[in-house]
Amino acid sequence: MCDTCGCGLPEEAKNHAHEHDHDPGHTHREEAVLYRNLLAANEAQARENREHLMEHGVLAVNLMSSPGAGKTSLIEAVVDSLSGKLRVGVIEGDLATDRDAERIRALGLPVWQITTGSTCHLDAAMVHEALHRLPLDSIDLLFVENVGNLVCPGLYDLGCHLNGVLLSVTEGDDKVAKYPVIFRYAQFFCITKSDLLPYVSFDSSKPQREARILKGDLKTFSLSAKGGEGVEAFLSYLLAERHALSS
Amino acid sequence: MPPPGRDMHEWSLACELVREAEIEARRRSALRVHAVKASVGVLTGVVPELLQRAYEMARQGTCLEEAPLEIEVEAVRARCPQCGREVTLHSPALVCPDCSSLGLEILGGDGIFLASLELEVAEAAGGNHV
Repeated sequence: MCDTCGCGLPEEAKNHAHEHDHDPGHTHREEAVLYRNLLAANEAQARENREHLMEHGVLAVNLMSSPGAGKTSLIEAVVDSLSGKLRVGVIEGDLATDRDAERIRALGLPVWQITTGSTCHLDAAMVHEALHRLPLDSIDLLFVENVGNLVCPGLYDLGCHLNGVLLSVTEGDDKVAKYPVIFRYAQFFCITKSDLLPYVSFDSSKPQREARILKGDLKTFSLSAKGGEGVEAFLSYLLAERHALSS
Repeated sequence: MPPPGRDMHEWSLACELVREAEIEARRRSALRVHAVKASVGVLTGVVPELLQRAYEMARQGTCLEEAPLEIEVEAVRARCPQCGREVTLHSPALVCPDCSSLGLEILGGDGIFLASLELEVAEAAGGNHV
């Protein structure tokens, strides 16, 4: 007998409060209420990545921005200023080509290119694959350069210790309020290409203020990878974070 | 070239949605999946129309081929630290509608879930489940 709808009971005892088809094979419709987090698998992989990086004493930094904000240039500037204080490795994420990876390789650093093909973001599984291709014991600081995009990467934890957003002064000072998801996800925020400030209408205090309001403890920097201004302050931040990791 | 639509995070999420729904349908020995419901928080930035389109592609060749997807958009629920009010927002701009403060504390509307499945199940064990 079907105990859900009471079909074997006398007519008056049947409870047909729930809607369902009834066929002779005694099946019925039921609603399974689940509320299952669709990002859970990625979050679990991200935790694993973080632990793996910790075991190797690697500080991992996820760099996110729209295309052309200067992620690769920032890595180059940091490597230049580090002058060997930390050993750097890079995971490059791009839709196509390995041009960014070539730039990193030219610096003599270990680099692994993830070509996502058509996917707009990196995820924890892609980073996990890449971690196995890099000599982690010879790396202290690992940059993960995300696919250029201010929307999607903010949903996917990669397992990095720090997540940062770059905004170049040519993009406009209204972007923080427009893309709150990615700024809420970040621990630091860099205004880049500050050497171009005299030529554009960009009020640096506005995005910094809005970003801090979105996330009170967000560290903010203003720098020029080309001219070098502000790079030292960013570098000190990374060195302090790396030190905190190993202590 | 992949079909259009696979270039957004909605594609990855649709694949995950289909995967989770299939696992659950099998676990419950469902004979058929009639409908799928997803809940999308406004703060995720996920575009429901794109998720819908991605789902149409992702479900091909699975037990969800005849199960339409319903997407409920979950508004942002937040508390304003300035005026203390609990507010509901329908856009990702986190500004208190009353006092214009930013810095809102998020209480909901920042997740994406497989909300529910409507399944055809047998009364007793047996049958050709999906």
